[in-house]
Amino acid sequence: MTETGWNDDELLDALRDALQTEREMPRTFVDAGKAAFVWRTIDAELAALTYDSAWESADAAPVRSESRAATLRALTFASDGWTIEIELTPTGVLGQLDPPESGTVSARGHSGELASAEIDDLGFFVLWPIPTEPYRLICTPASGPTILTGWVTP
Amino acid sequence: MRDDPTVVSLVVRAGDGDQEAWDELVERYAPLIWSICRRYRLQPGDTDDVGQGVWLRLIEHLPGLREPAALPGWIATTAQRECLRLLRVSSRVDPVDPVDSREVGEHAVEHAVAEEEVLRHERRRIVRAAFGQLSQRCQLLLAMITQDPPAPYDEISRKLHMPMGSIGPNRARCLDRLRRAPALATLVD
Repeated sequence: MTETGWNDDELLDALRDALQTEREMPRTFVDAGKAAFVWRTIDAELAALTYDSAWESADAAPVRSESRAATLRALTFASDGWTIEIELTPTGVLGQLDPPESGTVSARGHSGELASAEIDDLGFFVLWPIPTEPYRLICTPASGPTILTGWVTP
Repeated sequence: MRDDPTVVSLVVRAGDGDQEAWDELVERYAPLIWSICRRYRLQPGDTDDVGQGVWLRLIEHLPGLREPAALPGWIATTAQRECLRLLRVSSRVDPVDPVDSREVGEHAVEHAVAEEEVLRHERRRIVRAAFGQLSQRCQLLLAMITQDPPAPYDEISRKLHMPMGSIGPNRARCLDRLRRAPALATLVD
């Protein structure tokens, strides 16, 4: 087949086929793929789970809550230089970065960014909306490296 | 086509942590994953899962990817495996013993499907590139003609300020330009 061998109908068919995927494929599908690259920084600074209030009630339970509205659950993640404490409350994910420093924080799941917030100069943040799917927190203090927590399953 | 030096360079740069190169890879191959999911008739949520599964695996594989030129085939095969896995998990295909389902025959079929999707993807990419080399007016006209269902001539006339009588000749003219677009020449075998 040469290019001059394509009659108008064949050419239109090829074009229709070529444009169809672009028309159907939502941009969110592409954006989620781009966002996935952030996991590449996974070993930059990993903050592992060191405490989960759910452990008090059930021995060595995985990071998972029954998510009753009134239940307050507290988790602590720690890396070499940083500690991130979070509380899962009905009004948002309350967090404290230690040592305190301003910066940004986001919750990211497999589908991309679920919520983001500023960390104030006392190291405090409120993430809203509360993610409904498993996520990890990515904290970026103004001066420090990016810190990635382990998975939180709401 | 499979030895596209652009892809090789994108893979190397993305492996070094270049987000821009990664974004380009995603732009380039997301449609390939998408059309494979369509082929297996996955639901939108499952399609998103397949996408994430493929990208996360690719991120892991980037540093060790020895033949970047084989990337499209790798992506197609990985997407296909993810599709089949999801379909099995959700029991939307007959439950099959996982050992049986790995028979040689099925492998051969899977391989052929992946190859075919890669070729289609490359062809679509080239046609889109050729389309992109057309004038804005030709692009608008051909886009309206190829949409499903095709836009009626009176709508085309109204939106493009084009007399009804000249739509036919313009269509022929634009298609002729598409036929001669430099990008399309790479399709000629």
